[in-house]
Amino acid sequence: MSGGALRLAGLTRVHGTGSAPALDGFDLEVPAGSCVAILGPSGSGKSTVLRLTAGLDEPTAGSVHLDGVDLAGVLPERRGMAMVFQRPLLFPHLSVRDNVAFADRVRGVPRRTARRRAEEFLELVQLGGYGGRPARALSGGQEQRVALARALAAEPRVLLLDEPFSALDARLREEMHELLADLRMRLDPTILLVTHDHAEADTLADRVAVLDGGRLLQAGPMRALYARPASLTVSRLLGGRTEVAGVVRDGRHESPLGSLDLPAPVPDGPAVLVVRHEAVQVTTAADPAADAVGSAVRVRPRGLRALVTVEVTGDGGTTTVDAELGPGHDVAAGGTVGLRLPAGDRWVVPVDDAADDPVADGARA
Amino acid sequence: MTSTRRRPGPRGRAVLLVLPALVPVVAVVGAALTSAALLSLGLAPLVGEPRLSLDAYRDAAGDLGTGIGLSLGIAAAATFVATVVGLCLALAATAAVRRSRLLGALAALTIPIPHLVGAAAMGLLLADAGFLARLLGVDPSSWPPLVGGPLWAAVVAEYAWKESAFVALVVAGVLSSRAASYGETAALLGAGRWARLRHVTLPLAAPALGGAAAVSFVYTLGSYEVAALLGRAHPEPLPVLAYRLFTSIDLAARPQAAAVALTTAGLALVVVLLSLRALRRLAAER
Repeated sequence: MSGGALRLAGLTRVHGTGSAPALDGFDLEVPAGSCVAILGPSGSGKSTVLRLTAGLDEPTAGSVHLDGVDLAGVLPERRGMAMVFQRPLLFPHLSVRDNVAFADRVRGVPRRTARRRAEEFLELVQLGGYGGRPARALSGGQEQRVALARALAAEPRVLLLDEPFSALDARLREEMHELLADLRMRLDPTILLVTHDHAEADTLADRVAVLDGGRLLQAGPMRALYARPASLTVSRLLGGRTEVAGVVRDGRHESPLGSLDLPAPVPDGPAVLVVRHEAVQVTTAADPAADAVGSAVRVRPRGLRALVTVEVTGDGGTTTVDAELGPGHDVAAGGTVGLRLPAGDRWVVPVDDAADDPVADGARA
Repeated sequence: MTSTRRRPGPRGRAVLLVLPALVPVVAVVGAALTSAALLSLGLAPLVGEPRLSLDAYRDAAGDLGTGIGLSLGIAAAATFVATVVGLCLALAATAAVRRSRLLGALAALTIPIPHLVGAAAMGLLLADAGFLARLLGVDPSSWPPLVGGPLWAAVVAEYAWKESAFVALVVAGVLSSRAASYGETAALLGAGRWARLRHVTLPLAAPALGGAAAVSFVYTLGSYEVAALLGRAHPEPLPVLAYRLFTSIDLAARPQAAAVALTTAGLALVVVLLSLRALRRLAAER
């Protein structure tokens, strides 16, 4: 099985006259054999993208192309796409095996052949030997594996995944991530994945499209988005925690943190400095290489690491910077620490794109 | 000396909770069935000494035989039509593409209309000088004997009309919550409209459809007024036969009426048990 190339062009969906579009001029390329994630909060229109792609809803405008063919007017069952939803939706009247064999059966494949192939796909999702069980006799994780096997058995040109792992607990989700990575290596499917979890998008996808309010905010490889978010909204959706309001003058960002060099030329004017907490290094207050000195106001353990919020007071007010401490490294709440913000990890975004703009003394905690 | 007051366990509590509903049912139905049984077996005669005998059954045997066949036939035909029509209504009302509230409301409108009113309306519509015959300009002499005819067409039509709404309501209730998402899943696995109906929608609807059909069958089997109003004088379905015997001026016919009533109840019980077994088997398969 190998996937097809999907292209979405100007997809727009308005649910009712007068209402704001659920999706507004959405463009996306999903190359054959790749996995692209659409990342966005609830109500951002990301599931709408999948429904329009699958043909379950009609777009108000725009088109869906599979291997260069416009799919306008093509019924969902003829599009060569399969979808795994958040709920497994296994047919309750069929056994696990017959659920997986469903696509073959409706295609007219003889029962025996369809069942044999179903067993192969069950092996693929590590559920060999479960075929004879009733669909309801499985755990949540197993059900979702069967749903995945059922979708793969349909040999879709594009596999659509609508937050398929969000209802699973953390351990099961990790298992499913590994399984999907394994399936990608073996079968090379084209996958369009919808998620609200940036870590999941990072783990699974080659490229990510960030969607909010029905509009595409930014698309690209996840690392590039982490390092160079196009806006505050993107930075926040990707889990960015530090936002320092200030002004750019002559290629330097001036804020309570002081005057900091920027890695790329930026036009002068108000701008918010964003730095990933993973990139900030916490040192001693006496460290001559520290870019700023402040006091640790909050320390939250995260396994062997800890997330510390440092309050820095400087010219123009007070701000906070979040930093992730290395394993075993600890800081006492209330202690004074130095912060290094590596020049390559600094990035500024415009202030005017988010409703709740940060203020000089109140960056997000 | 200590006194221990035992609190009822969960099972005991459940029984206590059900009792208020169970007592009236057992009292009314139990008392009625018991007195009917005693009457039919000669143990509660109006005059004379009580004596165990099957005379009442023997005396009613001829009419009972034709009545059983007729009642089962009417119930089967009406239930079959009601099931097919009800299923179609439910499918149309819950179709993912065009969810029709109007259709659902129209189907449900039939439910509050009493059978007696329905029977009268059906009589006015289907009789040889009825509305339909006039509308179509057919002479009464060439109009088929739908009311009071040998095929019991008007009786079957009334039951089917009324019960189809019941079937539609029950099945639509089940389908509306599940059919859309399963239908979409099936469509994305390549199933066309007919394949979805055959492999997904019908199996999902089957338990509700079976249950509704069983209820409809048992109701039709034991219902009196429609068959009495729209049927012919002879042969009689079981409830009509029982009622006629019971209200006969010949008081000696009462044991026969009880025998017919008890036979009807027994038939209904057998149908309920069979359908419960079938439904349980259906549930076990899933």
